[in-house]
Amino acid sequence: MKKKRKVLVIGWDAADWKVIDPLIAQGKMPALKSLMDRGVYGKIQTLDPPLSPMLWTSIATGFRADTHGIGGFVEPNPDGTGLRPVTSTSRKVNAIWNILHNQGYKSNVVAWWPSNPVEPINGVMVSNLYQVANDTVDKDWVMPKGTVYPKSLTDEMKQWRVHPGEITLSMTLPFIPNLADDKELRKEKRVAGIVKVLANAASVHAASTHLLATTDWDFTAVYHDAIDHFSHLAMKYHPPRRKEIAEKEFENYHLVVESAYRFQDMMLERCLDLIDEETTVMIVSDHGFHSDHQRPLYIPQEPSGPAVEHSPYGILVMAGPGIRTGGQRISGASILDITPTLLALYGLPVGKDMEGKVLHAALAEGTQVQEIDSWEKIEGDFGRHDPDLQEDPWEAAEALQQLVDLGYIDEIGDDKLLAVEKAKRENRYYIARNLINAGKLKPAIAILETIFEESKVLRYGQRLAFALLSSNQLVKCQRLINELRALERQNATERRQAHSANKTEGKDLFENKEFEEPMYLELVEGLLHLKVNRTHLALPLLEKVQQKNPGNFQVALNIGKIFNLRKNYVAAEKQFIKALAIDDRNAHAHHGLGLSFLRRGNFELAVDEFMAALNENFFLPTVHYHLGEAFVKTGYYSQAVDAFTVAVRLSPGMTKAHKWLVELYTKQLNQPEKAKEHVAFLHGNIRGNKMIVTGLQGSGYQFILEEIKRLGGELYEAADETLIKRFLDPRVLKLHQSSDWLSQEPDTILYVPPQFLAYLPHNVNYKCIVVEADDAVLLDYQSAAKGGIRKESFSVKLSQLVRKNKLKLSSWIEAQPAMEIFFSGDVHNGLNNSQKEELKLFFEQDKTVKIETDS
Amino acid sequence: MNKKREVKVTAQGSLGILALGSEGIRLWRKAVAEEARKDKPVLKKTNEKEA
Repeated sequence: MKKKRKVLVIGWDAADWKVIDPLIAQGKMPALKSLMDRGVYGKIQTLDPPLSPMLWTSIATGFRADTHGIGGFVEPNPDGTGLRPVTSTSRKVNAIWNILHNQGYKSNVVAWWPSNPVEPINGVMVSNLYQVANDTVDKDWVMPKGTVYPKSLTDEMKQWRVHPGEITLSMTLPFIPNLADDKELRKEKRVAGIVKVLANAASVHAASTHLLATTDWDFTAVYHDAIDHFSHLAMKYHPPRRKEIAEKEFENYHLVVESAYRFQDMMLERCLDLIDEETTVMIVSDHGFHSDHQRPLYIPQEPSGPAVEHSPYGILVMAGPGIRTGGQRISGASILDITPTLLALYGLPVGKDMEGKVLHAALAEGTQVQEIDSWEKIEGDFGRHDPDLQEDPWEAAEALQQLVDLGYIDEIGDDKLLAVEKAKRENRYYIARNLINAGKLKPAIAILETIFEESKVLRYGQRLAFALLSSNQLVKCQRLINELRALERQNATERRQAHSANKTEGKDLFENKEFEEPMYLELVEGLLHLKVNRTHLALPLLEKVQQKNPGNFQVALNIGKIFNLRKNYVAAEKQFIKALAIDDRNAHAHHGLGLSFLRRGNFELAVDEFMAALNENFFLPTVHYHLGEAFVKTGYYSQAVDAFTVAVRLSPGMTKAHKWLVELYTKQLNQPEKAKEHVAFLHGNIRGNKMIVTGLQGSGYQFILEEIKRLGGELYEAADETLIKRFLDPRVLKLHQSSDWLSQEPDTILYVPPQFLAYLPHNVNYKCIVVEADDAVLLDYQSAAKGGIRKESFSVKLSQLVRKNKLKLSSWIEAQPAMEIFFSGDVHNGLNNSQKEELKLFFEQDKTVKIETDS
Repeated sequence: MNKKREVKVTAQGSLGILALGSEGIRLWRKAVAEEARKDKPVLKKTNEKEA
């Protein structure tokens, strides 16, 4: 008979390879090393925001927060009188142990976050409140309700709890050796914190080892928060010492993190002793923890502020039956993949609705994976809570308020309601961030718009600006950034006033000034400028952000892109290397670095970087294109053909790749028949690129067109027309009737008024220069042009018309996701030198594509 | 299967005892009860509450 699968999953919250690797090298984590040597291991990508209850629920379900329902750390009390730690009743989908219950497997689940109240599964469940001591050691340590299932095991499990008051000096010395002689040190709050984490870890470990040894089980899942909590307490003291850290404090606490990992490894060793060779083992963390130069210098004073210390990659180690052997490193794992992979290990079907994938690279060759539409649609017993107990606590709180409003129950205090309201918004904010992380921008924007409107909390507005930018709603994004800037100024003024009013009380009201990501608004504004090719505005902003937040990947990546655009390849290279030091698996950073190598003539290095980029993400046509260019430069023409061919398969409209293929097939490879299809493509289907300029009357678009003319651009120009119509090709006004002529004149640059943009044909790649202007400037100009009175009283009709045309402009831009775009900034009185420089860069971008195989 | 270990546990206690899990704690508490406790808990009542 085939043996039933047995799997032990141990969660190490916040475990990070950057701490583990040196410890392994020194032989200080032998148990983990033994698993790595006989199985597979690698990084695992977290989700944003990196908040543990949300992430561990994603690990246990294969779903993101908007589906599984666990957003933050707290939820309302059922009586609406305040908040409580998030509970398992808020989870809306099956966890892996529910599916295993349904399929007849026995599970032990210990301290999973959140798991209180425990679920009635086939096996034993010990909740995340089990280890929390609620009073001093001499008092009766009551087990909270819902801590152990089955209830009959409560007394048996009680005995394995270790109280912080029991922890001895010798147990703490590996963490803080100075405690031996320094009695004053023993009084420090940080020491008390470390002792508590140690006691909690010992309790969870004792409960799990007891169950491993005494129960009959098919699946055991244990969650440890010790590494995360030790790291929050003492990562700032982890070597190397930073100049901000006092020598004495460093000396006291520099071993805490190392000892935390070693203790975790000792506990792992014990668990491995208690299982047999037929058990598959998985060690997983939900995110990493910055341990190097990326350690933040401050912790924001706001909900979930400490999460700034988390890094985007955790650890995954798997070994045992069903897993590949030989200590291979695997890549591309996400925390969403854990449940699908576990199901595959048990030979159970994976829900098609799950958001993760099966990690085939980890599973033994030949592992068959079956699918099912959804485990949520299967009827039967899943060992879940009684439906009466399962409810959305936020909806329950609202229902409660309705009862208060109707007078059925007593009024709840305003402060308590306010706390619930605030927490609810915060919860929705986390879900919106999780949606942005998943690329689900529309629902994220809907949530953020609502909570920002309700609260005017800057952080919400900032994320909304980022979501708008990502969904190409550039005009709306710019407007919001202006609003947020005004709000920021207003908040600063209020803080200053409050500060001077409270000065005598010595309160530091500035302590809350930092946000979860420093200068996030500057970052978004910088990215917006970059997106619309205003690099002279983007660069100083992003450099400012980088100074404050050197560990931000986006900033380094985008500064690198700007330097590449400006042909400053040495500076670009430095930025991409910086970006790769933060995230060495990012395809865009490898691409940028490769491009800077390519343009400087380091072709072989360029090829390496492009290959690295494609290894992470194959579906990037521009990377294939640049790889093709690099191969041409090194004389590998057939490899170049392969690269350009993939580029045009991924992006059929990539004219320049077709041109290269024609060139290579005819001149280098002597295969003219193969060039034919690309020649035909160039002459037939692809209408090529077209540069257009758009802007309302009065915006100063004529200045842009004049500058383009000066740069050598071909324009329509009527000699005898007035200034207004000088650059307006009469055929543009009939675009709705005929637009064929447009693609036949690829090199001419066209002015298109915003109201005609919608008639532009779709089969042309546009490069667009948008000439912006304030409403007041436009109205002033247009009112004067119509012979009306100026500024003081604009006609309502004219004002509406300007708004309508602006809306047409922004809607059209939003509908062109891949369009190269340049926002001119205010040019109604002419262009300044920076604007001229930016315009030149944008105008000449396409001219850099030269087909020169002989060079 | 469960491997037997030679474990010498004293009332003093060490990290190794905690790492042994339920078995370590059982032996440690037994030793504490049997021996005169030489090694006092690290936290005083006052800061135990902070833990």
